[in-house]
Amino acid sequence: MELLFLAILIGLMMLTLGLGFPVAFALPGSAIATIGLAAGTGYIFAGSTDAYFAHGSAVEWLSAGVTNFRGIYWEAERDTLIAIPLFIFMGIMLQRSKIAEELLVTMAKLFGGLPGGLGISVVVVGALLAATTGIVGATVVAMGLISLPAMLRNNYSHPLATGTILSSGTLGQIIPPSIVLIILADQLSSAVDQASAMRQAAYREATGQFSMPSELDVVTTSAGDMFMGALIPGMVLVGLYVLYILGYALLRPQNAPSVPIDTQMDRQFWTRVFFATVPPLALIFIVLGSIIMGVATVTQAGAVGAAGATVMAGYKLYEGRGRYVPAILAVLSLFAIGYLHAAFNLNLRSLEFSTVGVTLAIIAVVVLVFALGWSALRAYHIDGTLTGVMSETAKTTSLVFIILLGAAMLISAFRAFGGEVLVKDFLGGLPGGFWMQFILVMLVIFLLGFFLDFIEIAIVVVPIVAPILLMNPEANVTAIWLGVMIGLNIQTSFLTPPFGFALFYLRGVAAATVRTVSMYKGVVPFIALQLLSLVIVGFNPQLVNYLPARVSLLSETAPPPRNPRLQQCVEGILLRETPRAEDDIRAAMATLRAADPAVLPPFEARQLETALEGFEEGFDLLEEFRAALQRVEDATPAYRPLHREVSRLNAEVTRRDTMIERLQRQARFLRGETDELDEARADIAARIEVLELEKAEILADIPDRWEAEHDAFLEVLREENMARNAFRRSTEQSYVFLRELAGTITAGDEIAAMLPRLAELPQVIANTTPEEAGEHIRELEREVGGLSGGNDLRGALSDVRRSLTGRNPSQENALEQAAETLDMARAEVDWRQRAAAGWLADLERLEAATRLNFGLREQDRLTRDQALEVAACVANPPDVSLRF
Amino acid sequence: MTAAPPARGPSAFILRLFAWGTVCATFAFLIENYLVFWRGQSGAMAFLSGTGDGWAAATLYALALALAVVLAIRGARRPLMDDSQRIDALVRYFIRGCFFAVLLVGIVDATLSFLRAEDMTEGIFGPDLASNLGLTRWRGPYVHIPLVLLGFVIALFTRGVPMIWLALMVVATQLFLVIGRFVFSYEQPFMADLVRMWYAALFLFASAYTLVEEGHVRVDVFYTTMSRRGKALVNALGSVFLGMSLCWVILIFGTATRASPINGPIIGFEQSQQSGGMFTKYFFAGFLAVFAISMMLQFAAYMLRAAAQYRGEPDPEPPGGLSDPQAATGH
Repeated sequence: MELLFLAILIGLMMLTLGLGFPVAFALPGSAIATIGLAAGTGYIFAGSTDAYFAHGSAVEWLSAGVTNFRGIYWEAERDTLIAIPLFIFMGIMLQRSKIAEELLVTMAKLFGGLPGGLGISVVVVGALLAATTGIVGATVVAMGLISLPAMLRNNYSHPLATGTILSSGTLGQIIPPSIVLIILADQLSSAVDQASAMRQAAYREATGQFSMPSELDVVTTSAGDMFMGALIPGMVLVGLYVLYILGYALLRPQNAPSVPIDTQMDRQFWTRVFFATVPPLALIFIVLGSIIMGVATVTQAGAVGAAGATVMAGYKLYEGRGRYVPAILAVLSLFAIGYLHAAFNLNLRSLEFSTVGVTLAIIAVVVLVFALGWSALRAYHIDGTLTGVMSETAKTTSLVFIILLGAAMLISAFRAFGGEVLVKDFLGGLPGGFWMQFILVMLVIFLLGFFLDFIEIAIVVVPIVAPILLMNPEANVTAIWLGVMIGLNIQTSFLTPPFGFALFYLRGVAAATVRTVSMYKGVVPFIALQLLSLVIVGFNPQLVNYLPARVSLLSETAPPPRNPRLQQCVEGILLRETPRAEDDIRAAMATLRAADPAVLPPFEARQLETALEGFEEGFDLLEEFRAALQRVEDATPAYRPLHREVSRLNAEVTRRDTMIERLQRQARFLRGETDELDEARADIAARIEVLELEKAEILADIPDRWEAEHDAFLEVLREENMARNAFRRSTEQSYVFLRELAGTITAGDEIAAMLPRLAELPQVIANTTPEEAGEHIRELEREVGGLSGGNDLRGALSDVRRSLTGRNPSQENALEQAAETLDMARAEVDWRQRAAAGWLADLERLEAATRLNFGLREQDRLTRDQALEVAACVANPPDVSLRF
Repeated sequence: MTAAPPARGPSAFILRLFAWGTVCATFAFLIENYLVFWRGQSGAMAFLSGTGDGWAAATLYALALALAVVLAIRGARRPLMDDSQRIDALVRYFIRGCFFAVLLVGIVDATLSFLRAEDMTEGIFGPDLASNLGLTRWRGPYVHIPLVLLGFVIALFTRGVPMIWLALMVVATQLFLVIGRFVFSYEQPFMADLVRMWYAALFLFASAYTLVEEGHVRVDVFYTTMSRRGKALVNALGSVFLGMSLCWVILIFGTATRASPINGPIIGFEQSQQSGGMFTKYFFAGFLAVFAISMMLQFAAYMLRAAAQYRGEPDPEPPGGLSDPQAATGH
């Protein structure tokens, strides 16, 4: 029954959307109407308002919807969405102050001389505008008004001219900072949580172990990651467009002629080029650069972008004297702040911040704010630009977010009628695994793009399908890649005739001589290029994944080499580098052994011997580990088809289990003693029986050898893990000991510096109260404890203190112990200084030789070269399905 | 105002009654909610069951109905478009009041939170007042609510749609946060709270204005080809069945119990969990109510406007100078 209501929901949604009522209210309105209808008919025909819901009740689902509304802005974790109004503000400010327009005119003059030059300039400007505004309508309208007449005047063919403008105008969807990407990131991050939970359940079911190792988890995403991931695919797309136009112009010069340059390329011209292009480019670099360098969050960068756009509008709009003064003041104050930041400690949280520096910095900030305010004031007074920008920002933000709000209710209703389960069942039942599911989802998104806007698609489709796609351990795709693919796909929705939004915008501003059919014709090759880029990115996930991985691994807060996610790639380095370094390591070990062993105290000497043995074993253990890895590799080809087959069968069984469960729930609603109800109950029982039979058949299909082979494979995996752990245990403990020993020896000088204070300890004990002396000793303990290898000494000092202030205080004992402590400290200093004199260099050489192999996982961070290698490696997520 | 003839007849009366009835019922509903959850009285439903409780709420609804009838009868001297514009003006006033309330509360509460985070409240206000200022139960009734009332008073003496300034305020506060963080390494939770408060207000308060300005995106495949009457029909029916039903669901399910999404946080003056944050989290719940109320009234006006268009009344001059027909609305 709930499927009927699901159909009504979708039908009602299509009807209300098709009639043209605003989407933001058509979506939740349809959802509420359907929930109400289901509750009402349920009450009349089945005696319960809850009867026709897959689970839950009408009240629960509507309350959930209302709570979801609030969820958009309730908690700090969704603060990334605040970037949306900021970027909208920035884009509209640039557009209203005619900065975008001037960029277009200048670029056309610059590139006009090339074959197809006007077209190429439109693509380049489209890409630049995309990086500043990301607003499809604005870009298409601006280029339709300025570039289209220019291209037509110069005898460009109508399809090429319109196609170029349309496709360049939509680049804003994929080139960051794009609102689509922010929304996709927001939706995907909750999808990742769901997918992760699903994987954990699958892991428990398959292996019987409770917790899944975190390297098998789904890789999550953020808006900043999405921006970085989309950057290279966006460039690829721009490259494809430019190549296409260039090729077209060379093959058919009459359709895309080069334009004779009428302006002189003199100094004035280049000055204009400079002022038209450099400020917007600088803004792009600051905004995107700060995100990509990991300096600022997307929201912070958005605020900077909005402020920068206001400054630019301040000089672009105003033409009188002192035109550039606010902009110059702003730039100067920024430089001043940058200098002060480097020269002084401006951290107000630290105790020793520099008063002079902070005062100067406050002055610089005041100047900056003054310059910003001045620019904003100009924008406010000239043509009411600021008012227009604020009004447009408010409206555009509202339209985006109210759809976000409304879709929350729609998703709620969709779940209420079991739509989510249905989609999951359907996708799960598809033959061909992940790629079949993925292609089908992409096809559906492409088709939806004919009718719906990107926000609706991102908000309605992603939460339903993304968890299923992300969960799949075989493809093991990253959320960033999925998001960029969906983003690229949605972008085509603006282009596809007959309902592409970009087409409507251009139709609105194009001359009547340009026929609509020409626009349709012109856009087709660009859609083909778009699909080509989808294929390219689809087959090369590293185009998306590399940049975010690289930035994260090179950043200040890079994950350490121990991070479970990096293990596979770090092990690759270990396996390659260790044999290469073997000779060096053995030589360093031999030198160390040859040196005088009497240098060390007996305990340390024994430990050193163990450590060296650990290294020696390490080489063998590494080979064993390599062999174990190879055994897994060898076992895989035979096991994989069987595993895939059984996984499929198991999925079928689970599907039937859920269906049976659903039928049983339905049966529970059929209480009563009429004939009809008896009949319905019998019907449900019969259906359950059929399902049980099918289930038994499927279970019988599981090959007999499965159990044995599954166990065998798990055993191979277990051996691999044991070999890995044996290698790690042996070599890493050894390395850590060497590093600590070197630290201990170096600390000898510091202990030596403390000797005089230890020597006067007896006087302190004799001349002050036990409490004061205890305090004094406690201070010494703290200092000694902070030194490497100072624990014994610290223990001795504690004994002294306890003798003074403990249960049986005795000054005599304390004095005796103080003298012992001094002797002990002298001995400690003695062996350390002797070791430091000759032997330490050998030790340090061995540490250096093992640092990047045996000790790699003990380092705080990867070296730059290793980080780059690991970034390239993690950009290709491995197939982990056999671990499930 | 307009040269159109007055709209008379039963259908015009019913349309007016429905629109004004929705407006009055919305306010009656809110007052009832106040009576039930703040004053501990029974709702109007209790009165209908005949126990004698809830007479105040029942009277309220009766008064609301009477007021709606009076307004509907008085409107007969004018075209429907006039009634629509009067409700428009009411929404604008309401949103203006909310804007000034959020502006004042945001600035004052952020300042207080800053002073508290820096331990300066005692020096300025003395120990008693300072400890009171640290209590959300005190700050709510004695600081926030007077400021909200003041906001609605200011709104009486101002005009236009100052709500759009929230866009600039979000940019400015976020920029201050950036400067504080990157120049002085100074960051406090109240700064992010202020940005979030104004940003949530921006898109929720702007919704009604966006509807009037035709800013909410439509799938205009068929819509653009429809006649004026066809469009009017879609808008009128959509307003009632899709729009108003959404607003009623938000209001009813947001205020159903003491723990519902709107009532719960406001009753308890909920504040953010972090220390050093603003005490205004419960306003976020109120924003949802503001959204629902403003949209409810706006849909009533929209419905009347669509009805007027359906009946062939001419369109009025666009109000204010803010709408820019050449502006390309983007996505």
